[in-house]
Amino acid sequence: MTDRSDIEALLPFYANGTLSEAERAEVEAALRDDPALELELSALRAMRDTLQAEETRSPGEFGLARLMRSVEEEGRSRSSGRGLQPARLWRIAAVIAIAAFLAQSVFLLDRGGPGYELAGDGAGAVRVTFDPDATEAEIRAFLTELELEITGGPSALGLYDIMALDGEVSDEDMMALQASPLIETATRDD
Amino acid sequence: MTAIAGGDRAALAGLYRELERPVYRFILSKLNDPHESADILHDVFMEVWRSAGRFEGRSKVQTWVFGIAWRKVIDLRRKTGRLDMPGDPPDTADEGVDTEAAVLAGQEAVHVRHCLEELGDDHRMAVALAFYEDMPYGQIAEVAGVPEGTIKTRIYHAKKLLLRCLSGRVTRGVAT
Repeated sequence: MTDRSDIEALLPFYANGTLSEAERAEVEAALRDDPALELELSALRAMRDTLQAEETRSPGEFGLARLMRSVEEEGRSRSSGRGLQPARLWRIAAVIAIAAFLAQSVFLLDRGGPGYELAGDGAGAVRVTFDPDATEAEIRAFLTELELEITGGPSALGLYDIMALDGEVSDEDMMALQASPLIETATRDD
Repeated sequence: MTAIAGGDRAALAGLYRELERPVYRFILSKLNDPHESADILHDVFMEVWRSAGRFEGRSKVQTWVFGIAWRKVIDLRRKTGRLDMPGDPPDTADEGVDTEAAVLAGQEAVHVRHCLEELGDDHRMAVALAFYEDMPYGQIAEVAGVPEGTIKTRIYHAKKLLLRCLSGRVTRGVAT
């Protein structure tokens, strides 16, 4: 590459603010003498700003619940001392994938109707239903603040299992759950 | 990472919460399929859980996790025959580029997304990490497992292709 192309290669990193001081000075000197380069920088900054402003709906807490179930499943199969057959692993993965998909779908849709039992065993968990208007981001922020996580659900009734990251949900957290406008119902799973 | 290697699920959950969104966005920018991307994200963090003990601390944790994600994306695209790595663009890529038009198009998400998708995997990966995650070129090189010079060259060519594509969208009057 020529000197100008060296500068051009640094331009995107000048736009994202990650160059060293020496590189930054080199780019700035080139920018002073080259209006076309300045225009390219404007285009790159516009692209970066546009991409960063885009809203991405990630799996969030539902993805975490799926991950924790897989971790637990893997731990169980290890501690049982007998490895799972590949076909069985595949079936478990499929069930987990479907459960995660349903979790997202059911959360967004009506959660009423006659119920089934939760997929997980839910021992020691608190069972909650979320307010239909609560967004995933609000739920994520709320649970993160309390250091709680979704470990199971949803049932057809929209019941989710919630546990503390370090074990059982404290009475204090239970009260916070019951008081939150994001939660419709919260009961201990005894 | 030491806690995760020791089986601490809360530590894994903490790392997931910190990196889930950027890693997912990175995967999605390559695969363009939310369900497939969610599956890969899951696989990435399962691998983090299984191999945390092998993390040597020679790079940032973020770099290591993005590296896992990148390898999984490439593996999937190889398996499904979707890997596209076009050669470098011709040196005449600048000809006919209206940079002022590119500045305008760069403000429209639909144009930027379209032009990003036109890039090959390696070019798109470098641009995504530089612009979505504000990564320095050295870190992108670590994620991709290539020398820093390679990333600079990829970015250089990707930039030319993006400007040409964006400029063309405006001059051809493509609607947003």
